[in-house]
Amino acid sequence: MALGDSLRLTVVTPEKPVIDQVVRSVQFPLADGMTGVLPGRAPLIGRLGYDELVFIDDSGESRYFVDGGFVQIAQNVVTILTSSCRPVSSLTRDEASKVLDAALARKATSDNEVSQRQKDQNRARRMLALADQ
Amino acid sequence: MAKARAIVKRLKAVRNIKKITRTMELVATAKFKKAMERALEATAYTRKLAEIVADVSASLGESGEEGAVSHPLLAVRPQVKKRLLLVITSNRGLCGGYNAGVLRVAGQLLRSRDLTVTLDMEVSGKRGINFYKFQRQPLVRTYTQFEDKPTFAQIEEIANRIMDLYIAGEIDQFDVAFMQFQGIARQKPVVETLLPIGNLESESAVSGTEATTDYEFLPSPEEILGEIVPASFKARLFKCFLDAAVSEQVFRMVAMKGATESANDMIKSLKQRYNRARQSQITSELSEIIGGAAALE
Repeated sequence: MALGDSLRLTVVTPEKPVIDQVVRSVQFPLADGMTGVLPGRAPLIGRLGYDELVFIDDSGESRYFVDGGFVQIAQNVVTILTSSCRPVSSLTRDEASKVLDAALARKATSDNEVSQRQKDQNRARRMLALADQ
Repeated sequence: MAKARAIVKRLKAVRNIKKITRTMELVATAKFKKAMERALEATAYTRKLAEIVADVSASLGESGEEGAVSHPLLAVRPQVKKRLLLVITSNRGLCGGYNAGVLRVAGQLLRSRDLTVTLDMEVSGKRGINFYKFQRQPLVRTYTQFEDKPTFAQIEEIANRIMDLYIAGEIDQFDVAFMQFQGIARQKPVVETLLPIGNLESESAVSGTEATTDYEFLPSPEEILGEIVPASFKARLFKCFLDAAVSEQVFRMVAMKGATESANDMIKSLKQRYNRARQSQITSELSEIIGGAAALE
């Protein structure tokens, strides 16, 4: 397992571990853009953004939506901690646009609230884009 | 005959109650297993989070910035003026001393606090809400949506609101009163202070066995730690609710087991009494017949 040619991906949410399997490659969103990981990646700890998690294993490509969080890579194990992770196919346009509308309609008065709202809007827009695919 | 019939009626009632308590026991057992599984699955997240915290702070320590983490949620306010207490009780009764235990520790805190400090209360669960209504204790917010399966999304909503309150300075301390699950045979009502977060690494999983790996940090260790703080608070609050859900089922299981056993004892003694009453009735009837026959002779 610890050899350089395989990569293990585990995705954990506060409720339960979602994914735990051997993969060939993983792509996930860091806070400032997408990044890809192949076996043998140097250790990394990073903050995640809101976007698509794609991994390729023997059966092909799987796509999930991750909701922020953290990633840790050590010894060819990619651990993703996120508050929610669901297959992209389960995202619906209705739901995503509802989230976006809620984020757009919210009133924000302080700096903190404004940046939070901006974050929520970006997240909702990504959800919408993924739902439309 | 009247007395024997009354006992039969009572016996039937007790049997029916026994059926109900027995069923409730079985349901509670099944729910307990599920709740327990959920609680166990949730530990994977907290463990990993603690690991990352340890790694990040190790690297911060190396670079000579010991204790460089500053986050509004970590800051201990010198003077606590306003506190918020969240009491987690159940929506339904018939679970033995579960609610009484939680309400007792919450009551202790309520009575023993410094009176110059304002204490706001939020209560989850109908049992607690009714209790405080009776006590005429004003409640800021009440929740009844938490059953045996609290979801993270629900908790996150509450956690976000409380963090906002804390950062805005509207509260200086946040405590939760709930039934802590320490093992199947051991649950303890506790009041835990969740904000300010005392020590990020207090969670047991941190061990200094592995030599620190040289991590690349994106964006920077400080920023990652700053982001972990709220996540860790959410995970802790979630754990409180999970613990409460598991404990509730354990208490219900134990209470219903006791109730079923008591019903069994009662059935036994009622049956005895019924048999005696029936016997004495037959005896008196017989003696009446014999007496009547003797009078005819």
